[in-house]
Amino acid sequence: MKINWEDLQSKSFYQATARERAYGMVDKDTFKEFLGPRDKMTSPHLLILGEAVEFDDGITVGVGKIKKHPVFVISQEGKFVGGALGEVNGAKMAYTMKLALKTYEKMKEKYGSVPDDKKPICIVSFDSGGVRLHEANAGLLMHSESMETIWELQNKVPYIAITGSTIGAYGAQGFVCLSADVVLANDFGRIGLTGPEVIQQEVGKDEFDASDRALIWRTMGARSKYILGDVDYLLKDTIGTFRDTIVNIVDEPMSKISKTRKVGSPQLVEENLEVVKLAAEKKIKDSKDLWIIYGNENVDQIPEMPQEKFLSVVKRRPRRI
Amino acid sequence: MALTELNLEFKPETPKTIKDEWSHIGVVASGDLEVLIEKENALKGKIKIHILTTVVGFDDVWETVVKKFIDKTGLSGVKVSINDNAATPAVVIRRLQQAVDNGGGLQ
Repeated sequence: MKINWEDLQSKSFYQATARERAYGMVDKDTFKEFLGPRDKMTSPHLLILGEAVEFDDGITVGVGKIKKHPVFVISQEGKFVGGALGEVNGAKMAYTMKLALKTYEKMKEKYGSVPDDKKPICIVSFDSGGVRLHEANAGLLMHSESMETIWELQNKVPYIAITGSTIGAYGAQGFVCLSADVVLANDFGRIGLTGPEVIQQEVGKDEFDASDRALIWRTMGARSKYILGDVDYLLKDTIGTFRDTIVNIVDEPMSKISKTRKVGSPQLVEENLEVVKLAAEKKIKDSKDLWIIYGNENVDQIPEMPQEKFLSVVKRRPRRI
Repeated sequence: MALTELNLEFKPETPKTIKDEWSHIGVVASGDLEVLIEKENALKGKIKIHILTTVVGFDDVWETVVKKFIDKTGLSGVKVSINDNAATPAVVIRRLQQAVDNGGGLQ
């Protein structure tokens, strides 16, 4: 079996499967998958419940290379059970992260220090609605294990999160996504905690109308998140663009990469709470009001304008840290 | 409701096999399936197919669809594993063909 790496570079990131995304983001033919379809490690819980199973349990994990960096890639498949995290795919995710940490520690032990051009990298391409409800406790356990590992990766291994597939990063995976050092997205990227349907169901249609697509996208979509500073790079929708951006980031020193972190210190928490305070003070009803506060004009056109134009006119939330 | 498990075995008249050691295609999305083809030396001239599907009561349709594909292509010497989530026959045939192509084609 062979995947053509050159074809993948111009392929839409949004339309690519998890495996294609993983193969395309590292250097040509360097990707080695852990527990691929041939290992047939399916979810035991779904089988009991009579739900369809998949050989890779909806996730592709493995290691590849970018220049001299060992790159650990985790790529979620949103089309299988909404990309939700269960016991098997959760373990694959958490333990690939742990492997990145272990690689860093081994390198440090052997060579005394880890040079900037050789440090391990961890990339997660999100496409998940959170924890799989069929196996909720096992999924949550794996979620907390990956959160713990992300904490340990801090200031050691750059953790790059990507959202740009069908589902986005919702529920528990919203946390995991925003804990990254760098967040990349295309125009299809979405980050949120509770999905639109659930908000409407719980609080009512007046609070959030789940049938209003425009409202959903300007609240949770990548452009709004870019203005607010949750997304650091807004990119064109090809695997190649994502790869090129990652290639440019990885050689930077760790201290520079972690400048775009959103969580992890009391100062960052304070800075984030200022947005909440601002929203309460100014009685923000819509993302557009927030965009105006940060100095944007023609806010009605922001969701529709071409990406290059958006990037040239956009004003983002200033960061202090 | 349990999953339906089907084990089929065929012996095509003009046996051919895939070029690569194995091949995989598809995602178990709604109305879709994944196909894994693995070469097995013990199965020379024969083909074993294992199907796991959420749909109940379509065993005959599965057999007809798969038999039609194998009669046409002569695919053999391999074990085929299918995970299905209510794919239609047209999608099944398409995915089987894609899996064969992804494995370097028949020889």
